[in-house]
Amino acid sequence: MFKYWWLGLTFIAMLVLPLVIGEFWIHVTIEILILGLFAVSFNMIFGYMGQLSFGHAAYFGVGAYATGLLMVKTAIPLPVCLIVSMITAGFFALAIGYFCVRLTGIYFAILTMAFGQLLYYVIFQWYSFTGGDDGLQGIVPPDWIIGVTPYYYFTFFIVVAALIVMWFISASPFGYTMRSIRENAERTQFIGINVRRYMLINFVVAGMFAGLAGGLLGPFNRSIAPDLCNWHQSGVPVFMTVIGGPLGFLGPMIGSVIYTFLFAFVTGFTEYWPLTIGLVIIFVVLFVPGGVLGLAQTMFRNRGTNDLIAEAKGSMDTETS
Amino acid sequence: MAILKVESLNKAFGGLQATSDVSYEMKTGELSAIIGPNGAGKTTFFNLLTGYHKVDSGSVSFQGEDITNWPPHRIARLGIARAFQVSNIYLALTAYENIRQAILSQQKRTLNFLIPATRMAKKETRKLLELAGLSQHAGRIAGNLSQGDKKRLELAIALGCKPELLFLDEPTAGMSQEETYETMDLVKRLNREMNLTILFTEHDMTVVFGYAKRLTVLHQGSIIAEGSPEEVRSNELVQKIYLGEEA
Repeated sequence: MFKYWWLGLTFIAMLVLPLVIGEFWIHVTIEILILGLFAVSFNMIFGYMGQLSFGHAAYFGVGAYATGLLMVKTAIPLPVCLIVSMITAGFFALAIGYFCVRLTGIYFAILTMAFGQLLYYVIFQWYSFTGGDDGLQGIVPPDWIIGVTPYYYFTFFIVVAALIVMWFISASPFGYTMRSIRENAERTQFIGINVRRYMLINFVVAGMFAGLAGGLLGPFNRSIAPDLCNWHQSGVPVFMTVIGGPLGFLGPMIGSVIYTFLFAFVTGFTEYWPLTIGLVIIFVVLFVPGGVLGLAQTMFRNRGTNDLIAEAKGSMDTETS
Repeated sequence: MAILKVESLNKAFGGLQATSDVSYEMKTGELSAIIGPNGAGKTTFFNLLTGYHKVDSGSVSFQGEDITNWPPHRIARLGIARAFQVSNIYLALTAYENIRQAILSQQKRTLNFLIPATRMAKKETRKLLELAGLSQHAGRIAGNLSQGDKKRLELAIALGCKPELLFLDEPTAGMSQEETYETMDLVKRLNREMNLTILFTEHDMTVVFGYAKRLTVLHQGSIIAEGSPEEVRSNELVQKIYLGEEA
């Protein structure tokens, strides 16, 4: 119950946050939310399915361009654009994932990255359609959410809604099937599951939520650039997930808070951002291998020797009685 | 009609003929065993029947349907489950979750995205936990279970698939003598009470003779003898190449 109490408190804090912090930090918080959504969607593949996608920015970028292009060239309302972003990103994830789920491990990582770079160069070069390396300018949010505080609330509610849906997916039989594929793909085949097909479905769903996150970015920055699809951008959710912890649902979101906040803070007085984040990653990997959320969970759980077991048993008893 | 019909199955790995012209048939409700020294091709035989390996030639049919070279998940869906020799379970999930996963798959609920899995298949999962004698370990992480409990969990996962035909690859490997008989009694009960057709491999001769009604002896990938335990025991060739080794 403590967990839900804590979540409720965070929710209320997030609601009053824009009233107490300055515009710059509201900006940072919006970015935390958007990149956090992106990272949580990445973790559907990394944490739950057990494969490292190093091209997840492709779907983030496709989502951003779908909404961006629609808003610049048409008068379609933003919520519809976001849905189009999800569908378009999902379509790209389907086409690319079809090949990627045939591989696992390092080959999966390399292939996702190769496809991501392919997409990046297409967007980068296709001036007549995407604006090429100039990107897209003038993506203005609609009147009802113009200004940083309204856009904050808009983003907040969409991200929370998306997280709730993703949480349900992670707890559903489909979510457990992903865990079973991560744990033992061979066994999973022999209980009657078409492992590749399930991996592909998960890849598409993860791509759709990355697309939604991307769609939110254009109206926020008022512009987008092809760098959104570049492999640097694919590294962002990887870093966030490693920092926050891949084994808890909200780990990547916590990672986004730390990463994005640090970025805003550190770049305020030094240009050595890559050095800073590099040191943070080294520290986390060496000393906090489960990430911040993993550390918190062990601190709460490791009171006795068999606490993990007792905990699992306890949760099962409540679930089954 | 035969529930399982295998016709002149062949499989070679490199130059090694792992399965050589094996034909085999099972009737519904049978409890039979395949024995043979290590490397005789018992596991390969199961791997060919369940789609893990592609066959070189020959055919496998289940209830009259040709399932030769079908992928494992389709064969499992059809009603053939297997338990592996080295327990092949979900080490980081609880015993309860291990079994539930198989049941959810069998119930075709794994494409459900929105209802928490904890609310599903409770009764079936508990029943199987109890059947396998794992009730007190329900919430334990499978990786922390004893070797014998892991094997029992392995069996329970296979049963979660609600099979009509069950392959057990050395179901008692690594168990104590007491556990061995408990497990084999369970296998016998599954066979009798649920009319489950079961084929198992075993290297402990006493276990085989005590439970299987029909024995098939594999040696270097070929069947060299078949019959009731007594017939096989008195077969000279078997004594020479198999029993001689054991005794």
